[in-house]
Amino acid sequence: MENKTKYWKGIEELERTPEFVQLSKNEFAEGLPLDEVLNESDLDLSSNRRDFLKFFGFSVSAVALAACNKAPVKNVIPYVIKPEEVTPGVPNYYASTFGNIPVVVKTREGRPIKLEGNEKSSLTQGGLNAAGQASVLSLYDSHRLPVALKEGKTAKWADVDKEVMAKLESINSKGGQIRLVSGQINSPATRQIIAEFKASYPTAKHVVYEPVNYDGIILANEMSFGKAVVPTYQFGKADVIVSFGADFLGTWLNTVHYTKEYSKNRVPGADSPKMSRHYQFEANMSLTGTNADYRFPLRPSQEGAALMSLYNAIAKASGLTQLPTPAKLEVVGNNIEKAAKDLLAAKGKSLVVSGSNDPYIQSLVNQINSVLGNYGQTIDIDNYYYAKQGDQSWSEFAAEASKVAAVIFYGVNPVYDAANGTALAENIKKMELSVSLAYYSDETASLCQYVAPDNHWLESWDLTEISKGHYGFTQPTISPVFETRQAQATLAIWSKNAAIKNNEFNYYDYIREVAKNTVYAQASGFASFDAWWNQALHDGVYELPMAASNAPANNVLANDLVAKINTKADQPELILYTKVGLNDGKDGNNPWLHEMPDPVSKVCWDNYLAISKYDAAEMKLEQGDVVNVSNGAYTIEKLPVMIQPGQARMTFAIALGFGRSAGVKEAVGKNAFPFVGTSNGTLSYTTTNFKIEKAEGSYELAQTQTHHSIEGRDIVREASLGDYKKNAKAANEDHHGGLRKPDGKMYDLWKEFDYKGHKWGLAVDMNACTGCSACVISCSIENNVPVVGRDEVRRRREMHWIRIDRYYSFQHEGTYATKEDEYNHMDDHQNVRVIHQAMMCQHCDHAPCETVCPVLATTHSNEGLNQMTYNRCIGTKYCANNCPYKVRRFNWFRYNDNDNFNYYFNNDLGKMVINPDVTVRTRGVMEKCSMCVQRIQAGKLSAKLEGRKVQDGDIKTACQQSCPANAIVFGDMNDPESAISKAFAKERAYSVLEEINVQPSVRYMTKIRNVEESIVENAAHH
Amino acid sequence: MSYESPIREPLVTGGRTASDVTAEICRPLENKPSKLWWLGFTLSIVCLTILVYTLVRSSFEGLGLWGINKTVGWAWDITNFVFWVGIGHAGTLISAILLLFRQKWRMSINRSAEAMTIFAVFCAAIFPLFHMGRVWIGPVWALPLPNALGSLWVNFNSPLLWDVFAISTYLSVSLLFWYLGMVPDLATIRDRAATPIRKFVYRFLSMGWDGSTRTWARYEVVSLILAGISTPLVLSVHTIVSMDFATSVIPGWHTTIFPPYFVAGAIFSGFGMVLTLLIIARKVMGYENYITIGHLDAMCRVILLTGSMVGLAYITEFFIAWYSGVQYERYAFLNRMAGPYWWAYWSMMTCNVISPQLFWVKKWRRNPNFIFVMSIIVNIGMWFERFVIIVTSLHRDYLPSSWVMYSPTLIEIGIFVGTFGLFFTCFFLFAKFLPVINMAEVKSILPGKAHSHEAEEVKQPDLVTQ
Repeated sequence: MENKTKYWKGIEELERTPEFVQLSKNEFAEGLPLDEVLNESDLDLSSNRRDFLKFFGFSVSAVALAACNKAPVKNVIPYVIKPEEVTPGVPNYYASTFGNIPVVVKTREGRPIKLEGNEKSSLTQGGLNAAGQASVLSLYDSHRLPVALKEGKTAKWADVDKEVMAKLESINSKGGQIRLVSGQINSPATRQIIAEFKASYPTAKHVVYEPVNYDGIILANEMSFGKAVVPTYQFGKADVIVSFGADFLGTWLNTVHYTKEYSKNRVPGADSPKMSRHYQFEANMSLTGTNADYRFPLRPSQEGAALMSLYNAIAKASGLTQLPTPAKLEVVGNNIEKAAKDLLAAKGKSLVVSGSNDPYIQSLVNQINSVLGNYGQTIDIDNYYYAKQGDQSWSEFAAEASKVAAVIFYGVNPVYDAANGTALAENIKKMELSVSLAYYSDETASLCQYVAPDNHWLESWDLTEISKGHYGFTQPTISPVFETRQAQATLAIWSKNAAIKNNEFNYYDYIREVAKNTVYAQASGFASFDAWWNQALHDGVYELPMAASNAPANNVLANDLVAKINTKADQPELILYTKVGLNDGKDGNNPWLHEMPDPVSKVCWDNYLAISKYDAAEMKLEQGDVVNVSNGAYTIEKLPVMIQPGQARMTFAIALGFGRSAGVKEAVGKNAFPFVGTSNGTLSYTTTNFKIEKAEGSYELAQTQTHHSIEGRDIVREASLGDYKKNAKAANEDHHGGLRKPDGKMYDLWKEFDYKGHKWGLAVDMNACTGCSACVISCSIENNVPVVGRDEVRRRREMHWIRIDRYYSFQHEGTYATKEDEYNHMDDHQNVRVIHQAMMCQHCDHAPCETVCPVLATTHSNEGLNQMTYNRCIGTKYCANNCPYKVRRFNWFRYNDNDNFNYYFNNDLGKMVINPDVTVRTRGVMEKCSMCVQRIQAGKLSAKLEGRKVQDGDIKTACQQSCPANAIVFGDMNDPESAISKAFAKERAYSVLEEINVQPSVRYMTKIRNVEESIVENAAHH
Repeated sequence: MSYESPIREPLVTGGRTASDVTAEICRPLENKPSKLWWLGFTLSIVCLTILVYTLVRSSFEGLGLWGINKTVGWAWDITNFVFWVGIGHAGTLISAILLLFRQKWRMSINRSAEAMTIFAVFCAAIFPLFHMGRVWIGPVWALPLPNALGSLWVNFNSPLLWDVFAISTYLSVSLLFWYLGMVPDLATIRDRAATPIRKFVYRFLSMGWDGSTRTWARYEVVSLILAGISTPLVLSVHTIVSMDFATSVIPGWHTTIFPPYFVAGAIFSGFGMVLTLLIIARKVMGYENYITIGHLDAMCRVILLTGSMVGLAYITEFFIAWYSGVQYERYAFLNRMAGPYWWAYWSMMTCNVISPQLFWVKKWRRNPNFIFVMSIIVNIGMWFERFVIIVTSLHRDYLPSSWVMYSPTLIEIGIFVGTFGLFFTCFFLFAKFLPVINMAEVKSILPGKAHSHEAEEVKQPDLVTQ
């Protein structure tokens, strides 16, 4: 039925005038003045001068603006179908495993951008070292091989597969020898893949090669206990630790685990003033040596005699037969007896370790630990650790390389890092088939006929047995960046695995199957394999129950060892060591690792000849000189000299892992691997076969710290454990009583600000901090701190927001000299005490930087943070000058998209690692530690979304998170129950430079050394 | 008629008459420049080109081209800034304070001293501008300009902001004072002008000066007022510059003695520069009768006085550093004397404290060659004083881990050399196109001639000193 009510638009419609009917046919009743506009004559008539000027002005400015703006085309591509788990702007975390360290990978929009330690691992307990932190950048390394290569030219995977398989087939059928050379394989799945490969090609043998290995320990344990393993050392359970050259906090075995454990027993509390005592006998000044309570210089050749003395001292007290007494050690004095006394007092709670790779030395160490009853207590040989180990197969391979017809290198680069690498290179060229699975065209890969590049570990699946029953899972967090293929899949395809479909091998399925058969078979308490798998993959680690730790019987007679251990110590020795971070140089193209200052020498971007001051004077060498080091066959030319305090006399040290020549952007440092020798069947990292000659020229090392004494200043505070027991505030007594208001704060000019809500603070425990520098890298990644290169570091312009200050003091006439003019006259710098102090922006409440900025670019937040507004900064640098802690960093150049700084900020791939939550700073502005303000904001936000208050521990700064020593505490000082409030209330807490009353929000804990003498009475008071 | 003491030196020698004065002082303006002028001017332009080149590179590539680093954030830049600002001070002192004290000997030197002030401030201003990391926005953002961003404002606590006001005030007042004093002379040149262009230009510049008694009276009142305004500037500008350092927490900077010490140092260096310039100018331009040995002597006495003040300040600083008992403070001063930059410190001490004492000897005070060498030494010394204060305090402050060394790059040296180019380019142009000596005032002090236009008769005899 039609609605009878009718509305009209107007009277015209009601009347339906002809004009209305006509007009109503048009969409716009009154029409548009198009004709006028289009018709030029009309335009002339109807446009007046003002209109003309308007149009003219608009057109000119619009054209001008459009012409000015040469905007680059940038495509923002939205997800067509949004993955369920990816929300732009919200990070996802996945558990994975880097080498032997379980990690958590932070990804943003599908890109891994940051690694953090996995707290679920009982070994590493959430810690991560510098190398691990930095390895995320290798994923985005533009030097990685993007595709497979044949004879150095791009090749299709299918062709490579076909040709390699055909050649393997023909070599195998002819009976030609095939070798698969890999590093230590800790993955049960990979082991199975290799076994299958060997089964497909019966002439194939697996060669295990590690350039820096621990074979000595493994052989010794086989001799002593019949178990060819590296035990798990429990440094946390040891009250007395005696280390002979083992850098267990820096480079020796599982440093993250050791640091976590070690630091637990190094922090005395007021309620239990107890900490372990650590003796270090070593030639190099190692990171571990810097943390020891007693450090004594000891040449490697003296180590045997020293260990025998130690054994004798212990044997004497335990009523055992003593060994034929070795020569008295002049350098060590009676310190061995002293160590023995402490070890005996802590039987079963002590630990003796040695960094030597000599099985007999290690066997003697086992003897000492057996006598001390440490097995089953601090040494767990039943739950052993999967260390890097080579085996005899390598030396066999090296010897018969000329007879080998085909070789596949997987994860190794022996042409670079084997002592006989040059000979091997010649042999590779002659082989019928040579293949490398490396993902760089490294020294070995560049000689091979085929390169079938492996995935980066962040693109891979894997299952790693870290220590016995302790599994780490590696899962890809990004699809392969390049056309690479996981090495295991490559080997499976070449061994014609049954699971291959369309020339594709699903390693994921394979690894699940292996995990099911090996790990899940032993697991209990899970409904199904899938439930177990999902849980284990989610956690990143799965730990089977630990086996009972026993004290096995020692099968070796100590007397038998005497003849086998070298006690001749009359020649200069060259020590080859690895550096914290760079290690054996596999990640040699990682600029973060090169720019990380060595924790001891503070040198970046180079290796050098470390030499004692005494020897330098004898040889008329100075820092900055260059030398040629030669063993007859190989010469390192123009190696810079670095006078290293603590270096034992007659010893010289060169770091391995430098001088890579292929697959890297530039050669950094010099290669010392050819000096690695063999002794007693294992690789030996010391040699007497070398000659040092002064060369022409000079070389400036890039050091981030060039003044090494504290100048008697009250910046680091230290006391002995005895001092601390007498007075928990030892070395930390208040000198400023008269300057304090009744509330304890010092008098000042400023009005007190009431921090309602949060007040953030940071505490650094100098007793826990080992100086390992993992925080430096972690901070750089988190905060997009640019790499500036060697020259800029030389100009003292490194950009690190956190640095570890390292100070030396030298034993001199019963006390320790802390002033440069005192110790410059000493001819011997062997007996040194070292202290590390992490230094970052102190977020002063009365910040001197804030008052001097003319434009208020640096201001204080109402949560106590000292903030930088980069956009407002005009770069006067006044704030940096006025900072008493010198933590501000200026952008001297534009460090991104600048060919003069050709690091990862200069290519699109490298920029993938940039943290999108943090601004990349431009040229001419100041920057500094923000206390990870982006993490604070994220933590506050998630608490808000969950409708709760921020809880202590919700927010962790990047430095704190990665610290393997738990030395850094961050939190809200307004919360009296927070860890930070408790840390600040400790008797050991102090502010650096309190007397200038800038009121820092960062406090340090007095360093307590477990030494007998008092330190406080000797300390200089101001 | 003023009384002339027979034992006082005449301020103008050689029996010059008023018409001699006009003729001699207008001579360089009305004739083609000499070869020497061209040589000097070309050299200055070359240096100025260096300035442009180095500044362009610094602005487009970054301050990394300089030698400064994470610890030493200021070095040659601010050293040069303080150096040039200091040099300017003599001009203001001569024209303002000596005017108020009615020191008539100033009359023949104030014009060029003021010109020197202005050019020196130009040179000085380059450094705070270009030491900014973001020079393209810094100069604007450092000004308290209204904006739509609410609380976005400059920081009135910052001494750098005080510098902005101090230097801009100083430059504007000095410019005004200098120009005003020049108007009667410009009118003289206008009246003598032979070519139409010349006439037009100087007519424009002389702002319709008619030489009437009323005009003169007003001129003198305004001069007095401007002198009154300028006088505090002599003290305030360098006081504020010194506060860049004094208000900081850095040992060696954090010193309350800085304001008077900087002002004395500024006058010291300013007179050094005036002497350097005028000893050349009087010789080259033949103005020995106007800028007499007596003038030089008087200026040497100022140098002796201020040099001694500066020396006293150095010693006081040392005493206080020791007396304070603060180890950082003590170290900062010991480090100056015996640290790696000892040579800078001892250059400063030799040039600023020891060498001016030679001016106690009257014979040397009246020997232009000797004074010329001394004036150069004074300026070297004062440059080193600023270098010592800035670099040696910063390079080793609180935490020894951050101690560094600093050395300048060629770019920094280029900028410094370049500012001399700017300075001398300006000065050569000044000497060619403007009267270097105040003709009107000098005519008033010709021997045996009455004051024609002093506002009131001065009973006190003209004194050079005492």
